[in-house]
Amino acid sequence: MEYTWDFKVMLDSFPLLLRGLVVTIELWILAFAIGFSLGFAVSLARVSSRGWLNAPAIGYVEIFRNTPVLVQLIWFYYAFPIILGQQLSPFTAAALALTLNTSAYCAEIFRGGIVSIARGQWEGAKAIGMTRAMTMRRVILPQVLKRMLPAFTNRGIELAKVTSLASLLAVNEIMYQGRLLSSTYYRPLEILTVVALVYFVLIYPGSYLSARLERRLAARD
Amino acid sequence: MQYQWDFAAVWNHFDMLIVGLIGTVELALVSIVLGVIVGFVVALMRLSHRRALRTPATAFVEFYRNTPPIVHFFWFFYALPIVIGVSFDPFTAAVLALSTQSGAFYAEVFRGGIVSIERGQWEGAKALGMNYRAVLRRVILPQALRRMVAPFVDRSFELTKTTALASSLAYAELLYQAMQVNSITYRPMEVYTTIALMYFVVLFAASNLMRLVEYRLSRVG
Repeated sequence: MEYTWDFKVMLDSFPLLLRGLVVTIELWILAFAIGFSLGFAVSLARVSSRGWLNAPAIGYVEIFRNTPVLVQLIWFYYAFPIILGQQLSPFTAAALALTLNTSAYCAEIFRGGIVSIARGQWEGAKAIGMTRAMTMRRVILPQVLKRMLPAFTNRGIELAKVTSLASLLAVNEIMYQGRLLSSTYYRPLEILTVVALVYFVLIYPGSYLSARLERRLAARD
Repeated sequence: MQYQWDFAAVWNHFDMLIVGLIGTVELALVSIVLGVIVGFVVALMRLSHRRALRTPATAFVEFYRNTPPIVHFFWFFYALPIVIGVSFDPFTAAVLALSTQSGAFYAEVFRGGIVSIERGQWEGAKALGMNYRAVLRRVILPQALRRMVAPFVDRSFELTKTTALASSLAYAELLYQAMQVNSITYRPMEVYTTIALMYFVVLFAASNLMRLVEYRLSRVG
């Protein structure tokens, strides 16, 4: 098959795709920043010895990890507004679903780091009169944050890819713009290829960094 | 807010959701099997000494790891048919997208397992007069396979969750069927909550089962 690529379409559609990219990045940063912080809070509940904190945290994490993220997006856009009594914009629904999803995964990373520190350190810190919050901040977190870095970078990469699903709620991020453009120009091959390349350029530096980081940390241990 | 739940509406169309669940399982199983084949070939290519084999395999893996799955779905459904002049039905396009994507991830799992066995074993086996294939089959793989189980299972769960994206190509898997039920019943809350639970039950049960298998395997070793 002979196929003539239409490079002009690629150039023409580029500005609109870039506008979509801005929305993608907005969604990414918003969901990651809030999801990361919320994830820490959830992990504290998760490692708590109190059942009424621990059990809901487990339920929360397992529900978000054991259902497809697309179903979560659809749920927050179409179902959640019914109990809320108020319609959500596609962007808000997508941001909400992605934030909560990210927080569940981040909670597991935090938990893994926290429980990796020997119990003796908690006891030692308590013996010298430190509160639990102080022990967490001064003793536990400084040791584990660096070790958790590759896992968080991977989460960031996953999230960057998952933001593309917001296009299915008609959030005007890059994938949505790409689909719109490809049906306008009837040139899905060129435009979807450009979209894939833009994602690659956006995400590759992160995964390269994460792989290097992992190797350096592995070499140090 | 007082909301009147009405699960009867969903229950009346539950057969449609079961059809969807079967569609999901079918798509996942076919893609896992094909993905394993792709992954095995790509892993061997990445481990090869010949650059002509290694470079394209690395590019393949990096491309898939750094671009979103939804782009692959649309690319295989809308763009590839233009190049090769043959169009695919949604199931085939979804299988192509899922098996190549998971193939890239499986390749990394297989490669990681193989390189985790120390070099000395290769050299030792070679000194005993075994050729490359014999070393791989008799010495390396039996040990490496056991280490691959956990990441392999993780990836397969990711793949199963990703099958939900096939709904955007109108393949009748669980999410797509839920959208159909929703358009008949206008009960998004009940419908989407039900399928979220269905995904959860299947994935959570399967992941606990696999954890048991992993535990058994780790005790054999």
